[in-house]
Amino acid sequence: MMADETISRVGPDRTEAYLDLLQMVTGVVLVAFMWAHMILVASVNLDLGGGRVMNVIARFFEATYMAQVGGPVIAAIMLAHFVFAARKLPFRAREQKAIWKHSLNFNHLDTWLWVIQAATAFIILIMGCIHMWTVLTSLPITAAKSARRIQGGWWLVFYLVLLPMIELHVGIGIYRIGVKWGFIKRAHRKALHRFENRLTLTMIGIGVVTLFTFLVLTKA
Amino acid sequence: MSGGVTMGRTLKFNIFRFNPEDPASAPRMDAYFLEETEAMTLFIALNRIREEQDPALMFDFMCRAGICGSCAMMINGRPDLACHTKTKNLPAEITLMPMPVFKLVGDLSVDTGTWFRAMNEKVQSWIHTAKRFDPGQEEERMDNALAEEIYEMERCIECGCCVAACGKANMVPENFMGAAAFNRIARFMIDPRDERNNDEYFEVVGNEDGIFGCLGLLGCEDTCPKNIPLQDELGMLRRKMGFSQVKHLFRALLPGKKMA
Ligand code: HEM
Ligand code: SF4
Ligand code: SF4
Ligand code: FES
Repeated sequence: MMADETISRVGPDRTEAYLDLLQMVTGVVLVAFMWAHMILVASVNLDLGGGRVMNVIARFFEATYMAQVGGPVIAAIMLAHFVFAARKLPFRAREQKAIWKHSLNFNHLDTWLWVIQAATAFIILIMGCIHMWTVLTSLPITAAKSARRIQGGWWLVFYLVLLPMIELHVGIGIYRIGVKWGFIKRAHRKALHRFENRLTLTMIGIGVVTLFTFLVLTKA
Repeated sequence: MSGGVTMGRTLKFNIFRFNPEDPASAPRMDAYFLEETEAMTLFIALNRIREEQDPALMFDFMCRAGICGSCAMMINGRPDLACHTKTKNLPAEITLMPMPVFKLVGDLSVDTGTWFRAMNEKVQSWIHTAKRFDPGQEEERMDNALAEEIYEMERCIECGCCVAACGKANMVPENFMGAAAFNRIARFMIDPRDERNNDEYFEVVGNEDGIFGCLGLLGCEDTCPKNIPLQDELGMLRRKMGFSQVKHLFRALLPGKKMA
């Protein structure tokens, strides 16, 4: 131990515990947001007579400035989450080779899930930023505007990629928070793993249906 | 040791060969063929190969009963004890590699001893108490359920499978403490005779070489040949070490006095 480490201390250095806690908390907040986000956007599938429910909800979030303030806040949390979580990623070639070789040889489900989580993270980082920039710089959000974007074609491809990436990352993430922090016990791991798989598939399903609705939407 | 009822399969063994002590030796894979016999374990197979085909082959065994922990190796990519692995549960082609992370002695033999010695020193693997031992006194009683819980963790045979199976340990082999160390600490944490407080345990595991570096991949849980409840212990350890810091986190984030 180096002298500066010992001299400056009256208690243990807690930084790495804080970072791990913050990684978990930002992860949970983002998951909660993504689920809420999915419900809000999927409301475009509903028309209760007064036009698409999504429009009503979007108007509410803009009138109360929740979209204008909340959007950038979510973007900041995502960036923070990236910084916290990236501590766990192998950035050096030697480490990347080691984890890849280990994953191939060991061929173990949870190890592969982590590799998927790490890979999807970067795609989400880039595509998520593009998505947020596009939506937040062209407020107000309306079903008609979103539909026009999807019907253009390229955005459909964009979202068909981003959707499963997010849902995989979110599903695996919440499962791993469960096992890492001991909320999921050995006795329940299998069952909760299956539940998480179904949840991920359901979310992807809702997302695909929603994208389809946008694709064929003419009367908003 | 040859003989026994043959099972009709010819097994092909691909075995890693390298002697770091011999400057002329270069890492390679050697193939050996063996008639499978009834109830054949890798212990039996490797001994037959050494006796009948290649006396220079290096591997470790002691108890051949899953107790000493010396025979762990990578069997078709997964760490396990060779002595309790039956060939009938394996395909006809079997690849044997030494465990990663540990120092290679030669061929399939690795030095787990040095690693575990360092681990035990780091976690100070003994009961810390100010009480004087009095041989005349009756032993203090312990709740039976707790004694059994401690015993569950004591069953670790220091084979190293959990470490070889760990993605994190493979990425940073020099530093990461590994599940065996977490199991050991958890064992002392629940032992009421050990007087160490949370902060003292935190000094040892409350960092990224310790529990906060664990990725939760559960390679350890899924391979431990003694089926030690590593998942539950690691979860307990992370919660205890992490959540006990929440109050400090608020103190660190809020303005005002900063002393611990
Ligand atoms: C909407 C976006 C996102 C959500 C909902 C989300 C959610 C989560 C959750 C719940 C976890 C588990 C946290 C934990 O293990 O403590 C996690 C882990 C992780 N996230 Fe995200 N995340 C998002 C975006 C990102 C982005 C943009 C990145 C970075 C490029 C990222 C990188 C990671 C990594 C590397 C892990 C694994 C950490 C580990 O090994 O423990 N995530 N994420
Ligand atoms: S759960 Fe932690 S200790 Fe166990 S294999 Fe995964 S990273 Fe390693
Ligand atoms: S915890 Fe299990 S796998 Fe790890 S060294 Fe002990 S017995 Fe072996
Ligand atoms: S020889 Fe002792 S555990 Fe296998």
